[in-house]
Amino acid sequence: MFLEFVEGPLWYIALTIFVVGVVLRLLDVFRSGVRTDLAPPRREGLGGALRTLVTRSWTAPGFTRGAAFHLVAGYMFHLGLFVLLFFAAPHVLFIEERLLGFGWTPVPYWAFILAANFAFAGLILVWLRRVMHPVMRRISTLDDHLAVILTFIAMFTGCMALFQHHDSLRAIHMLTVEVLMIYFPFSRLMHAFTFAISRSYTGAAMARKGINA
Amino acid sequence: MNKNAKKRTVMRRVLVLILSLVIILPLIPYAVALVDGPGAVPNPGAQLWNEVRQRDGASAGVSQVQAVDGSVFINPYGERWRQFRMQQLVPIGGWLLVGVTAFIALFRLIRGKVPLEGGRSGKLVPRFSVNQRVVHWFAGTIFVIEAVTGLVLLYGRFVLIPLLGPEGFSATAAASKEIHNLFGPIFPLAVVLMILLFLRGNSPNMVDVKWFAKAGGLLKGMPASSGYYNGGQKSWFWMVVVFGIAISGSGLVLNFPVFGQGREIMEWAHVVHGVVAILFITASLGHIYIGTIGMEGAIEAMTQGYVDANWAKEHHDLWFAEMEKAGMVGVAPNALEEVKRHDDIDFKGFGSPGAKQKEG
Amino acid sequence: MPEVVTEHNVERGKEVLKSQIDAKIASYFSSCVHCGLCAEACLFYTETGDPRYTPIYKVEPMRRVWQQENTFWGKLGKGLGILKEVTEQDFAEWQEMLYESCTLCGRCSMVCPVGNDIAYMIRKSREAFAAAGYTPEGLQGATRRALEIGSPMGITLHTLEAQIKHVEKATGWEMPMDQQGADYMVLFSSMEVVNFPEYIEAIARIFHQAGRTWTISSKAFEATNSGIQIGDSGIARELVSRVVNAAEELGVKYVISPECGHAFMAIRWDAPNLIGRKPNFDVVHILEVLDQFRAEGRLKVDSTTDERLTFHDPCQIVRRGGVVEPQRNLMHMVATNFVEMPDAGVMNWCCGGGGGVSAQEETEELRLKVFERKKRQLNAVKPDRLVTACANCRIILEEGLEHNEMDLEVIGLTELLAEHLAEGDTAAK
Ligand code: HEM
Ligand code: SF4
Ligand code: SF4
Repeated sequence: MFLEFVEGPLWYIALTIFVVGVVLRLLDVFRSGVRTDLAPPRREGLGGALRTLVTRSWTAPGFTRGAAFHLVAGYMFHLGLFVLLFFAAPHVLFIEERLLGFGWTPVPYWAFILAANFAFAGLILVWLRRVMHPVMRRISTLDDHLAVILTFIAMFTGCMALFQHHDSLRAIHMLTVEVLMIYFPFSRLMHAFTFAISRSYTGAAMARKGINA
Repeated sequence: MNKNAKKRTVMRRVLVLILSLVIILPLIPYAVALVDGPGAVPNPGAQLWNEVRQRDGASAGVSQVQAVDGSVFINPYGERWRQFRMQQLVPIGGWLLVGVTAFIALFRLIRGKVPLEGGRSGKLVPRFSVNQRVVHWFAGTIFVIEAVTGLVLLYGRFVLIPLLGPEGFSATAAASKEIHNLFGPIFPLAVVLMILLFLRGNSPNMVDVKWFAKAGGLLKGMPASSGYYNGGQKSWFWMVVVFGIAISGSGLVLNFPVFGQGREIMEWAHVVHGVVAILFITASLGHIYIGTIGMEGAIEAMTQGYVDANWAKEHHDLWFAEMEKAGMVGVAPNALEEVKRHDDIDFKGFGSPGAKQKEG
Repeated sequence: MPEVVTEHNVERGKEVLKSQIDAKIASYFSSCVHCGLCAEACLFYTETGDPRYTPIYKVEPMRRVWQQENTFWGKLGKGLGILKEVTEQDFAEWQEMLYESCTLCGRCSMVCPVGNDIAYMIRKSREAFAAAGYTPEGLQGATRRALEIGSPMGITLHTLEAQIKHVEKATGWEMPMDQQGADYMVLFSSMEVVNFPEYIEAIARIFHQAGRTWTISSKAFEATNSGIQIGDSGIARELVSRVVNAAEELGVKYVISPECGHAFMAIRWDAPNLIGRKPNFDVVHILEVLDQFRAEGRLKVDSTTDERLTFHDPCQIVRRGGVVEPQRNLMHMVATNFVEMPDAGVMNWCCGGGGGVSAQEETEELRLKVFERKKRQLNAVKPDRLVTACANCRIILEEGLEHNEMDLEVIGLTELLAEHLAEGDTAAK
């Protein structure tokens, strides 16, 4: 019953809230618009936007040491999560059956384990830094902690359900994922989409001034 | 440089210590298992059975199965391992855990919470950096997850089945196993990070011997001198190192049976894993107790990174004296961040001849 | 004429905060993951360890307005009265953070992993604080003087004329005032007129050698723009219009921004947006002009120096202004022993006095503290002389060096070049 509910109606509700919510949030960002820059540019902005979109994935020159913790732990988490999300065998199957109608080759079991290790280690590390580092402590909001906790729980229950013999465990994982999806558009997690907008705006503005940002 | 040379000798000593312990440790359960081994009374009727059970060791047959141990008909060691687990590990481990918990409770009843004799001074002394604190709680988190799921697997059938029923326990056990196996490989990373960030200041010396002789100053009216770490903390650190390596190594052997290890190796890994886990968890109880509710003013060291000056004076007098000399008592709450940019300020003393202040 | 707001008005401040949130800022706030990396880039944080100086924390009032206006939880929280609106105390507290502990250097904007331009947000926040009257007195005074007298330091055309007399005497040439149709119109910063008149002489000699016509406008010779620093676009527009009008009246092809960081920002990058159109001339920085002369062979030197020289990149000219290579080409032209400080160029560290910080007396202690960063940069290369291209940087550097008892001369790049100009062409009598 419970499983049917979380795999049926609740799944569609969560999916709808997620998709509609994200679209509305993105529209809201663009709603306020940006004034066109009238100053004669040194270069066109588009190239800079694309450039910064890519280059900000690494640190600025001479800044790698200051950013080392986030660089390592951050990538551990995000790459790990990415692999789990899109390449874990049960997920690929789910995507094929419930979302797209086609799937792709999942990663082998050992790669899955490795990805999970990285994702958990990275998430715990960045969160611990959040509660330990005076700067992060000062600027963190309830939203940041909630986002971490919900993500952790979703990942954790997913791993609990790995031994796919208990419907109850599977149902719990579905439920926590749906909670996360519903929370997503209202939260900090939006950075997964808006980071591209931010990088592009900054990259374009700086390129017009002749700087590779 | 001088500093580097010193570091290297320390590292070498550490390495030798770790190696010898890693070699000795697995022998302990072996000895335990042997003492209780099968009796040696000859019985002719049992000869055939002994042959089948391969009591004298695995004798391989011939098989089409292409796998490690694929040609062993019956694994004779499995039974020995089962016996060890059910007759020694589970009961002795259980009593150890209960016993130590009771001991801590008793200590609490007699001694109460170890108070700050001088009250709070309101002056801060920096103790652990952000990275140290992050790594500590990282290790702590993984440890607790592994300990809890591990104990579920070891004791669940005695403790949880009555509570959850067989259905509930089945799901709990399945979930625990997956979590245990998934978080397991993270622990070695935690141990390595712990060693990297906490090794400095943890080499034993005569001060520690005296500290132990005075029961660590935990008894009323018998203070014991100590530097940055006291004897108890140093012991805990070295336990983390030794147990951590043993439990990680054995865990990896068990978790990834893809490197050609056979059943016999797996069985030994199991024994090491179980025994060390019990010892590790038992020791952690003491550490967690004294770090949280057992002693006033201790937990801040690992949450805020600072301790109260009176705590430092009462529990780490030698270190406190050095910090005072270095002008590190009564610092602003951003002191840790501020000293970060001066690589050469040794703001912890660590028994070195006074902290050097750089300016120029 | 616009006026400096001194009356506190929180409601107005909140309104302007709201109106300043454009798509960029909405995206920036949505993206910020509160990682704190921007702090590691900001010298106010790295040199004090005080988490309050975290760049993104400096725009906290704006974030709260954004949260309450643009997000679901924020609207809900505001509706239920759980979230506090930005108060008077907040404005008072963040006035200090926005004006005393940020030089708008833009270093933070280079490192944010999600690409936030935090300096832009700070500049926009100042707009609201200026409208609400929460601005430091020092900047208010400077801005008022700029509006009323024409210069933040209160100097007048008389002062300039007196300095020009000296230059005329030294060179024996007449300085071109208000010359219709000259190629270049040259601007100055008050700081140069008062403290570094050598700059004027250097310009005269270099243009003479290059054989290009130039002029000084008696109506608008001041390049600095306190309106930009205090964050009042209305005032900034008024000040910048004076320059635009004067230059268009004289019909010059180019207006040259002097060795001053924010002046370049104001005239080159902000002016068109402030007046709503592109002016009928191009704006170039003096370093760009000199480098162009060099490339065209119009700038000739007859000597070089083997002193160990290093160059301090002014934030607004380099990182925020896009002038990176010209100064390096010019340095190599005269210095055989030119060394770069660590992080030089686009990621250079601010002197600690930009963005109006140096216009406030009360910032001196903090300024000297954050100068530690420059000190370490300098100690890494141990130069004989320090070259820069911003009169304000120069004053701040001299102050910091003196405070630290470091015996190091600071000189403007234009002057350095003038020292080595080929004599034959310039020693006209
Ligand atoms: C989860 C419960 C835990 C708590 C509440 C806790 C608390 C503490 C505290 C307060 C300290 C600082 C002591 C001082 O000021 O010197 C500390 C230090 C330390 N902890 Fe933990 N800890 C926990 C778990 C662990 C675990 C699981 C490990 C091992 C993997 C660990 C390893 C260490 C080590 C090596 C130190 C430094 C040496 C020492 O002070 O004993 N801790 N802990
Ligand atoms: S670096 Fe960027 S994402 Fe990180 S806290 Fe600063 S503004 Fe936010
Ligand atoms: S612009 Fe410069 S001074 Fe201002 S917050 Fe960013 S790094 Fe700090």
